[in-house]
Amino acid sequence: MCGIIGCVGRGSETLETLVHGLSKLEYRGYDSAGVAMADDTVSLCKTSGKIAELRSALDSASLSGSVGIGHTRWSTHGPPTDGNAHPHQDCHGDVAVVHNGIIENYQSLRDELVAAGHTFTSDTDTEVVPHLVETALESGADPEAAVREAVSRLEGSYAIAVVVAGADAIFAARNDSPLVLGLDDGATYLASDVPAFRDFTDRVVYLADGEFARLDSSGWVVTDLEGAAVEKDVDTVDWDPEETGKSGYDHYMLKEIHEQPRALRQCLRERVDEMAGTVDLDDLGDLSPTGVQFVACGTSYHAALYGAQLFREAGIPAQAFLASEYATSVPPIGDALVIGVTQSGETADTLSALRAAEKRGARTMVVTNTVGSTAARESDHAFYIRAGPEIGVAASKTFSSQLAALNLLTLGMAGSDDTREVINALRELPGDLQRILDESRAEEIAELYQDAGAYFFIGRGLQFPVALEGALKMKEITYKHAEGFAAGELKHGPLALVTSETPVFAVVVGDDEKARKTVGNVKEVEARNAPVVAITDGQTDVGRYADHVLEIPETHPRAATVLANAHLQLVAYHTAAKLGRNIDKPRNLAKSVTVE
Amino acid sequence: MLPAGNRPILEHVFDALVEAGVEELVVVVGYKRDRVQNHFGPTYRDVPVTYVTQRKQLGSGHALLQARSAVDGSVLVLNGDRLIDAGTVAAVADRFAETGDATLAVVERQETSRYGAVEVRGGEIAKLVEKPRDGDYRLINAGVYGLPADIFDAIEETPRQAGELALTDTLERIIDRERVRSVEVDGMWVDATYPWDLLTVAREVLARGRVVEAGRSDGVWIADSARVHREAVLQGPVVVGPDCEVGPDAVIGPDTALGDNVTVGANAVVQRSVIDADTRIDPGSTLMDTVTGQDVHLGAGTVVPAGPADVQVGTTIFEEQRLGAVIADRARARGNVSVTPGSLVGPNARLDVGVTVRGNVSEGAEVTR
Repeated sequence: MCGIIGCVGRGSETLETLVHGLSKLEYRGYDSAGVAMADDTVSLCKTSGKIAELRSALDSASLSGSVGIGHTRWSTHGPPTDGNAHPHQDCHGDVAVVHNGIIENYQSLRDELVAAGHTFTSDTDTEVVPHLVETALESGADPEAAVREAVSRLEGSYAIAVVVAGADAIFAARNDSPLVLGLDDGATYLASDVPAFRDFTDRVVYLADGEFARLDSSGWVVTDLEGAAVEKDVDTVDWDPEETGKSGYDHYMLKEIHEQPRALRQCLRERVDEMAGTVDLDDLGDLSPTGVQFVACGTSYHAALYGAQLFREAGIPAQAFLASEYATSVPPIGDALVIGVTQSGETADTLSALRAAEKRGARTMVVTNTVGSTAARESDHAFYIRAGPEIGVAASKTFSSQLAALNLLTLGMAGSDDTREVINALRELPGDLQRILDESRAEEIAELYQDAGAYFFIGRGLQFPVALEGALKMKEITYKHAEGFAAGELKHGPLALVTSETPVFAVVVGDDEKARKTVGNVKEVEARNAPVVAITDGQTDVGRYADHVLEIPETHPRAATVLANAHLQLVAYHTAAKLGRNIDKPRNLAKSVTVE
Repeated sequence: MLPAGNRPILEHVFDALVEAGVEELVVVVGYKRDRVQNHFGPTYRDVPVTYVTQRKQLGSGHALLQARSAVDGSVLVLNGDRLIDAGTVAAVADRFAETGDATLAVVERQETSRYGAVEVRGGEIAKLVEKPRDGDYRLINAGVYGLPADIFDAIEETPRQAGELALTDTLERIIDRERVRSVEVDGMWVDATYPWDLLTVAREVLARGRVVEAGRSDGVWIADSARVHREAVLQGPVVVGPDCEVGPDAVIGPDTALGDNVTVGANAVVQRSVIDADTRIDPGSTLMDTVTGQDVHLGAGTVVPAGPADVQVGTTIFEEQRLGAVIADRARARGNVSVTPGSLVGPNARLDVGVTVRGNVSEGAEVTR
């Protein structure tokens, strides 16, 4: 949610480097932003609003220094105001701090500091940190020791970066909140995510919980909290910084919707052998689980519901849980494999659920898009969906890639009666999806129903998660009321909401019992005069009862889920575009939710 | 985007520009703009790319006019569907830089009747002539221009012909008033007017080794992520794109390009053909001199024999073209289908089991026995 950047060794380009980094992190949070620079003194500039507002505030500010830190914020404590924006300072203005996460004991620390005579200027939990550093400095500690002492007092989650007047260095620490170093010739960067400095370097060092870093003109050193040096691996990231540009699309979300065929090919690459009819799961080894519990949030939870069905179809008991519920009321796990699904690998609720499972001795796995993420490092196994960076806050291509990856996972671990047919359908998926992108009539549907009071989505079996995801996309980016239901559940209550003003989107694929029963549900809706949009491969006669049809090619039902969802992504996107919504950064939402 | 080998022609054009030292690319996109934007992204080989949309296709001058806000000063202007090399771009850029006059590349061709011919006198363009009879002229307009910043005003001042603005109409007006320089070039210059031209284009690209995949041996290029069965036979020159699968005993090549994610089943034979992305060729099929679009599915035992054959486009018959068939995007052949050489099968056409296609099949048509 919040984004941190830090930079040493860029001389007079330091400020521009920081602001550039913040602009690359803006997707993580965007209600306020600020930067601080330090040499013998600390100077800073911060403002509520987006990076553009920070840029204009900087025009009239004069900041100087050889090292600097910056921050974009998404509120957890205190409203988005100039005062609550980071960096935060001590009483004398000699210390500046940026922070992600939540300091759980901040109230007691604040009470203690106020009693000792410190003056607080914001409502944030973060502000206790500069005052703790100030206290330690006053008792004679050198800057590094003072920051260490402050960090040792904190409970909760944090990624912290600190500059101190006269220290010519950045001090950083992490616990439960991501932090990564970027290594360049003569310069070192620090950020909560790689895109912040990816334009300058591709060599990175991921910090682990409980680690402390010092960045100065002579380089970088990572230590544990006691000060003992830690040997760190230098990784190379292969993400292309240009993938973070919009390349002519009006929104990142539309760009990412269009990237899905390529993302799917990358997900399948060298993992499926169509001629042999086999799936190769990298180095996951033979897991052969006797049971599976998925934990996930939001869109990833919908992917998890789909994944659980695939395992059940293969005869392995499987359930999907909302991670936030699982973490606080852990069900009996037995010897089930616990699989977290998280795009960022940093979702706090999912991390908590995985940790709760691990604490009970369970084997854990994560299905994620982010190599080197906390979830990937903490879990016993990681399986990457390889969708590439996703900037739009509302997930699109990563959902499709999660579904493809979950197919590979189940085929590889449990097999299927029709493995060859599934592999075939997966190999055909990029082409089939391209067809939907080229030919979808979603924009016409959006035009017709942009003023509807509410939108309902129904589906059954593998298409039920699509109904939920279609509704979530609609909520996220149009701010309109939307709900997804299991088709059979409609008549048990929600049908009372259905009127001629509420379009109902029905996903009907194949012509099996599930499809025929869903057609029955469509008839119930049609009888209430609701406009019906059928997303279908045309194998049933649902088109007769629908006002509109969004066609998908005939394929395996597992692949049909991805195709049906693409139509619904486009319906939500075009509806939001017509309503003039801030599609890439919907109100109140952040890309990667790193607080519980 | 039409393929030159297994990459879009436009990508080869970008290569020529980047290799000639161009530092900024502006693309005017209209038809299928999403595809273009998605393919190239915001930069190509570290050169920033700006996209400008032409909402109505009202001629080449109108297209260039759309780029006005994205361009500051003089411009190099090229067609996106002609295969050219960096030397041609550099020659035009150099002459334009020396003189400051509008400059246009010309190239020698026998068949001038397909193109815009030019009459050159003393290094200057004297006249532009659209599609003259063969033999009357020697040089044609290569479609590579160096133009001063005031070209945009000149286009706006040009009267529209039937609502359209052709860049050549504006150039004719400039020729009447001032000097337009010509640069004769002899580098690669191949255009794709008709779909079967893509076979020539692919041959040219492969012969020059303008391929990004790693070379496995002489004239055989295979992407790292492609899966080629060890008992498949690849006869160079041939390129196999990323994520392709080629089954046992398949024979691919020579002069063949497989685009991204193409599947060729066991015992299939694909020679002198261009197969675009996501296409599937099922076991036992034989394709000669064939161009397929994207996401085409050819069921087991589909047979397209080699040309030459007569090809009908509209009311015109092109005689003795070396063409098996053109099978457009998303066409489906269910299996055991024969296609007579010279046939054009339209997008989304459905060919039922066992049919024989003679001649052209229109878009979306179903052919049953």
